[in-house]
Amino acid sequence: MELLECKHLYKEFDNKPILKDINLSIPKGKIIGLLGKNGTGKSTLIKLFNDLLIPTSGEILINGEKPGIKSKELISYLPERTYLDKEMTIKQVIHYFEEFYQNFDTQKAKKLLKDLNLDINKKISKMSKGMQEKLQLILVMSRDAKLYILDEPLGGVDPATRDYILDTILSNFSEGASVIISTHLISDIERILDEVIFIDKGQIVLTSSADELRNKEKSSIDEIFRRYFKC
Amino acid sequence: MLGKLLKYDLKWIYKVLIVFYTLAFIFSIIGRVFSMIENSVVFSVTTQITLGLAISMMISSLINCLMRLWARFIRNGYKDESYLTHTLPVKKKTIYASKVLTAFISIFTTTIVIVACLFICYYSKSNMQILKSLLELAASTYNTTVLKLLLLVFFVVFLEMMFVVLIGYVGIILGHKSNQNKMIKTIIISFALYFLTQAFTLGCIYIFGLFNSNVMNLINTTDIVDIDAIRDIMYMGIGIYTLYIIFYYILGKKQFEKGVNID
Repeated sequence: MELLECKHLYKEFDNKPILKDINLSIPKGKIIGLLGKNGTGKSTLIKLFNDLLIPTSGEILINGEKPGIKSKELISYLPERTYLDKEMTIKQVIHYFEEFYQNFDTQKAKKLLKDLNLDINKKISKMSKGMQEKLQLILVMSRDAKLYILDEPLGGVDPATRDYILDTILSNFSEGASVIISTHLISDIERILDEVIFIDKGQIVLTSSADELRNKEKSSIDEIFRRYFKC
Repeated sequence: MLGKLLKYDLKWIYKVLIVFYTLAFIFSIIGRVFSMIENSVVFSVTTQITLGLAISMMISSLINCLMRLWARFIRNGYKDESYLTHTLPVKKKTIYASKVLTAFISIFTTTIVIVACLFICYYSKSNMQILKSLLELAASTYNTTVLKLLLLVFFVVFLEMMFVVLIGYVGIILGHKSNQNKMIKTIIISFALYFLTQAFTLGCIYIFGLFNSNVMNLINTTDIVDIDAIRDIMYMGIGIYTLYIIFYYILGKKQFEKGVNID
């Protein structure tokens, strides 16, 4: 059984199609790049996986079941925006995750926070946006999930922070788990990808193993992406 | 999971409400202390000011309670925090139940605080005597006891408040189903539901009047108000409000369970 499957998935907003006939399978134990330009439907697709949108038609199966409580236990999701209650302290947020997610590893989260020299008694509202994003990443990666879905984790951050983010992802995801990383910043992540999915105008235009694609096209994923999506 | 959600919802609501409760109590006590000092114009003026402040804090508690309940529902269910709320391994109906229970508890405590503060501000033997005689008159008119009458009034006010909160919740859910102008649609839907429900209530009273001549007289004539008719309408109102609350709870739950469309 595949970890995640989409069958003939459509999503419309006000009769305007955003996603068209998406058919997709995400296997276990892979790092997959969901690549496409801005506004091509990457975030919409991810929101559908996470039960944050209702599909217009089609089906999503996560470990053989429709999105629900069980799928939410399996998926650890990092959205584009900061979703924490800013009135809470880091300590309270950790406790919140501990209470709701059975697979949350508090010790791991505390260790990662210590590496960042973050005071756990600090209020979220007193932290910079960048720090809030790092905190979210730590919380997401501290779960022993089967599937990590990271929506634009590198968007709007400096190169040093990108390295920190990629290192945190690579060194913390659970063994046998899959990671979906949505981004348009290909060059930064292509070294870690096992598979790539190109999405354009709401449709999947290419799915391939990263190595096979590189060998076939004799160029990097970044160059292939640029060719594909040339304006 | 309901208990955990409820804990966080209540914490958020009471974080500010506690401040208003405390201020209402403080001003009530200060006003009361000053009112006991006689023959001083300064203290008399200060008493009026502090009692005025106490009343304004009581009203603020009530308004804040309603506003924070709706704000929490929007923030948790449809704004940035919804990315966390809806990805928690919790059923949508549990999330909704937590919001409704939070409303139930916070409205209840706010009503109690208001009653307690009014008691601190205005309790005196003479005032109680006047109130008691008024209530006894009303109670005997309604063929009931003072305690039952007070409980009845408390119950009707409480039901009305719960009804208003639930209308707001349903308005938020339906308003946020569309993709544009969500807040405007939320407000329009909430008001429309409120007025439609009240119009329906009037229709029910009219139908009730077809079988009850006292009630029909109240609608059709300018005769002196019939106490029996008022009592019948009051009891009917309690029944109808209870049904509305159940109806809007189920409607909200069903709509919320269908899923959300987060921006």
